[in-house]
Amino acid sequence: MDPMVNGWTWALVVGTAVCLAVVWAVPTPRGRGPRAVGLGALLVPVVALYLWAAGITAPFGIPLTYQVSPAPGGSGQLTLIPDGRGALFGVANPGAAFWLGMLIIAVAAVVTALAPRQAAYVAATGLLAFGLWQACAAAAFQPEFQGHHWYGWLVASTWRALVWVLAFASLTGGFWVTRRTIVADLRARETLADRVEQLTDTRAVAVDAAAAELRRLERDLHDGAQARLVALGINLRAAERLIKTSPDDAATLVAECRETSAQALADLRNLVRGIYPPVLADRGLCDAVRALALDCPVPVVTEVSLPGRPPAPVESAVYFAVAELLNNVAKHADAGCVLVRVRYAGGMLRAEITDDGNGGADAGNGTGLAGIERRLSAFDGILAVNSPVGGPTIVVIEVPCALSSPKISIS
Amino acid sequence: MRVVLAEDLYLLRTGLEKLLAAHGFDVIESVDNAPALLRALVELRPDVAVVDVRLPPTFTDEGLRAAIEARRQVPGLPVLVLSQYVEQLYARELLADRVGAVGYLLKDRVFNDDQFTDAIRAVAGGGTVMDPEVVGKLMGRRSRAEPVTRLTAREREVLALMAEGRSNSAIAQRLSVSEKAVGKHSTSIFTKLDLAPSEDDNRRVLAVLAYLNA
Repeated sequence: MDPMVNGWTWALVVGTAVCLAVVWAVPTPRGRGPRAVGLGALLVPVVALYLWAAGITAPFGIPLTYQVSPAPGGSGQLTLIPDGRGALFGVANPGAAFWLGMLIIAVAAVVTALAPRQAAYVAATGLLAFGLWQACAAAAFQPEFQGHHWYGWLVASTWRALVWVLAFASLTGGFWVTRRTIVADLRARETLADRVEQLTDTRAVAVDAAAAELRRLERDLHDGAQARLVALGINLRAAERLIKTSPDDAATLVAECRETSAQALADLRNLVRGIYPPVLADRGLCDAVRALALDCPVPVVTEVSLPGRPPAPVESAVYFAVAELLNNVAKHADAGCVLVRVRYAGGMLRAEITDDGNGGADAGNGTGLAGIERRLSAFDGILAVNSPVGGPTIVVIEVPCALSSPKISIS
Repeated sequence: MRVVLAEDLYLLRTGLEKLLAAHGFDVIESVDNAPALLRALVELRPDVAVVDVRLPPTFTDEGLRAAIEARRQVPGLPVLVLSQYVEQLYARELLADRVGAVGYLLKDRVFNDDQFTDAIRAVAGGGTVMDPEVVGKLMGRRSRAEPVTRLTAREREVLALMAEGRSNSAIAQRLSVSEKAVGKHSTSIFTKLDLAPSEDDNRRVLAVLAYLNA
């Protein structure tokens, strides 16, 4: 075979192989899909090459045209003539060049439409492949290598390829770093925005709950202790009037007063229990949960131990959640026994209430469970329910918090 | 009867002092904080102590802790604990040493001075007086624990009144039965709870304790 044709063919074969290898080696964003798309992109210069080889056009800026002239011996002779213009899409066939351009744009459009995430990757690998191929091909078609050994082009193409790869690497590297930074920043903003939204919601819930609680306290005081104190004052005044004229009636009234004051005290006691149970203040969550267990009409086994005390608001929230859950069990579950576990691990305060009742509890359905969950949300706490019909029911509460000084316990 | 009184609120303390004096008790010392209470109990060894649960310095259950500590140092020292609220948990802790001579009452109970002073005397005499609210919660509980389930409804009633510190005659009056019948029920309760015949007061304490722990 003619050495010049030989060199030309080898250049294309080796160049294409290098392109393929490089495209294959470039890390893909994810999976095989993008790699296949990358190979598709590689096909663009290959197709162009064959179009060009078939005499349709001279793409990709190779400053050459060619002609096949009949050799004296009769066999075809490939002669390469520099045209010196370096034009993209050469002169040989402007129509074909146009269509080739359209083909490339169409492929790019389809790829972008189908996989926008991969488009940048396609462009990058396509560019790399094209550059490498061009480095090889351009060297191969330089006239000084015509008539030499086939490997002559390699020397000239190596440094071009090297420069291209470096340029490509810095370009795409810069691109990826920028993209990663931007994406990370966007994600951080998104997370922050989500958190702000969540905090706004839970703050509203907490504020509403606090306001409702204050209204309830005001109402309870007004209808309870305050009303009884008023009655007490009236009765005492009446007794004062009667004490000389009708001591027996006065004594009855005073006895009534005593009864009323006891009721006022009972009212206040219940109110205090609803605000902040004294046993919780005295002893902390563990003993408060034990006290709840003792007061529950259903037998309760407790496994509670904490290495320290959670912040008071968390303690209180978890206490009331456990109280309400035990109340639910007593009211609805028809359970024979309940197990209450309170633990702390990995920055989470975890309470678990298991009963052997008839199950079917639903956080989405029962307003009670949803209410507990809502109140816990102010502390980023969660509630999970597993309650198949027929039981058993497991309710888990988790609240992130830090524990303070080790618990003080009498023993 | 020599009494040590621990109450941090001045109004209540003077009120209780007057009430106790009016009923013939000799208040040998009134204190307003837990360390002073512990010292008074251990040094003076009163016939009975009347103690508020919440005392300085922590204003939590300081009084209860001091009472329990004093009874650890002086076993069986009679203590009547008063509180604005009652917890079964605390009742158990008071009874845990199984020697009796303890009382645990809501502060409201002082309104009825006769019952209150009866309770003080019962505790001083080695009895156990639990507030009806504690006992009421016990009654509301569905117990599965043996041997309390073996008790009949009437026996549970008798046991509840026993826990409130009432004598057999008071129980008989309350249930409108003869004192003899109450005695029979008591014996039956002690048998069912596997309490060997011993001094009656201590058996009553143990019966109440079995009930609390059920």
